[in-house]
Amino acid sequence: MAKQIKKTRKKVKKMKRTTFVCHNKNKTCWNCPAAIFKGNVDFRACGQEKKVESLREDGQIVIECSRRPKLGHYEPNITFEQCPEWEKTKYGYLLKNMRVMILGIDGYLGWTLALKLGKLGFQVSGIDNYTRRDSVMERCAHTIVPIARMTKRLKTARKVLGIDINFRKMDICDIENLKIFLEEEKPEAIVHYAEIPSAPYSMIDVDHAIQVQKNNVIGTLGLLWTMKDIVPNASLIKLGTLGEYGAPLTGRPLFEGMFPADAILKWDNREWSLGGELTPRDPVSLYHVSKVQDTFNVYEACKYWWLRSYDVMQGVIYGVHTQEVSANPKLRTRLDIDEWFGTVVNRFVAQVILGLPLTIYGSGSQIRGMIALEDAMECMVRLIASPPEPGQYAVVNQISGLHKISELAETIAEVGRKKFGLKAKIQRLENPRVETEEHPFEVVSRNLPQLGFKPKVSLEKEITRMFKLLTKREIKERIKAKAQLVWPKTRWSGEKRKSEVLEIYKPGTKKVKGYKGKLDI
Amino acid sequence: MDISTSEFSKEVLESKTPVLVEFWASWCLPCQTANSLLEEIKKEYKKKIKVIKINLDKNPTFSSKYNVKGLPTFMIFKKGKEKERKIGAQSKDNLCQMIEKFI
Repeated sequence: MAKQIKKTRKKVKKMKRTTFVCHNKNKTCWNCPAAIFKGNVDFRACGQEKKVESLREDGQIVIECSRRPKLGHYEPNITFEQCPEWEKTKYGYLLKNMRVMILGIDGYLGWTLALKLGKLGFQVSGIDNYTRRDSVMERCAHTIVPIARMTKRLKTARKVLGIDINFRKMDICDIENLKIFLEEEKPEAIVHYAEIPSAPYSMIDVDHAIQVQKNNVIGTLGLLWTMKDIVPNASLIKLGTLGEYGAPLTGRPLFEGMFPADAILKWDNREWSLGGELTPRDPVSLYHVSKVQDTFNVYEACKYWWLRSYDVMQGVIYGVHTQEVSANPKLRTRLDIDEWFGTVVNRFVAQVILGLPLTIYGSGSQIRGMIALEDAMECMVRLIASPPEPGQYAVVNQISGLHKISELAETIAEVGRKKFGLKAKIQRLENPRVETEEHPFEVVSRNLPQLGFKPKVSLEKEITRMFKLLTKREIKERIKAKAQLVWPKTRWSGEKRKSEVLEIYKPGTKKVKGYKGKLDI
Repeated sequence: MDISTSEFSKEVLESKTPVLVEFWASWCLPCQTANSLLEEIKKEYKKKIKVIKINLDKNPTFSSKYNVKGLPTFMIFKKGKEKERKIGAQSKDNLCQMIEKFI
């Protein structure tokens, strides 16, 4: 009896702890992309001003609601909780039928997010020029999870999930057409996935380096100018990568974009606070350089034109599951395993399935921040739900855990062996990249938890889901067909040759040594 | 901590204890990072000093009235008068030194 009471008490305690706290109920019209400033707007009070004709003699700022123009002009202090346009959901308050445009909607993340948002009642539009499909085909690889043509995808989304997506085939660098589409859709949030997301792809040769930097840098730059002219109030969710920061050997934490106020610079017997200064970036490939450039362009655009943006420093995303993409085989999102577009978890799982040794680069002591697909999508919804204020540039580090590559290989090999009876060895290869292999790694990730985000999917859980899907006969055949493309041949030196094997060992026979990652939440 | 124009007289000028005022804006990155320091200071100095924040975008009249030229600007008010100001991100030590002079 006493035991039972104790148990119940524990349960109640647990329930209390998980009680839903609404992260954005106190946000106001200042955060709402539907609010159009009409008063004497004097942002940048101390420098450049953005003057809009003053409507009130006392200089007080007023707005007009683009969704309810009949209300006339009023002070922008209505909270999301009070406003009938914002509805309470499990993600916090969401703007009713919010118009969201996804750039790069055909990709691994773009497609997954489109379905999730559509299901939540957002009005989703998107562009894509199928660069990803083309680049993967050009490398003679293919997505191992078969994906349907866009027309078929859209049709299935309508039939199975009841979602209508307004898709237009378009290159992000085609500014004229982008303008027309933005003008038509007038999105209230823009999610920018239209980038070529591969470090090795950017290191193949000069043509590929130029292609990656041109698409990413010029595409983002054009988008910013276009947004300034057509949808300056829309909230821009721009994707960066944790790789922009590099891995400082001092072990200094990777802060969220900027230094905290109690970070002090000491020199010449004097000291200064570094609070709010952007932290140094140390990109590790020409692709990462393009992402750093994007970061600075977005930062400046917020400064000059009062655009608002979340810059998401994303960890490596892995996995295949969200409720929506799993709803029908034709709704599945792509999954690549080749050396250029296959991220580490995907490659390891594919190798275990074929019984091939898992290929670790160098010592395998590299530590990386990672997050499962389902959790990453959850983050995106929360960011869309809580737009920054005009001119505000905020950075979030989006990860749910840190993993050492050698340990990751052990975990994946073990899940494969225990749950699926698959056996595979681990092998270390010459590292094709120029990177630090032994390094401390501490990452700060406090902004997303403040928006109510809690990771739900453990590494083991998502790996298990991956094994379940990828061991299906049809998919296994597709892995087999391209298995030789997993082995790295693109070297940072520019040389083209297969990395040689340094060592082969059985999982569970090696002690883990060296640095451990630290996550500050 | 955040107050608007109409509360300024009561909360700052007529305050019996000295007041640390931070002028800030949401677009200002150093201002974003100063919040945790202000919380700490508020706790440590409890009744000795009042900590107030004023958003300059939402209360634009202050920039000309107090000649605020850069954000964040930290000011100490005592008996209704401005005593000292510091501009830009500040270390906690810097802020505390400024406070100690007036309590």
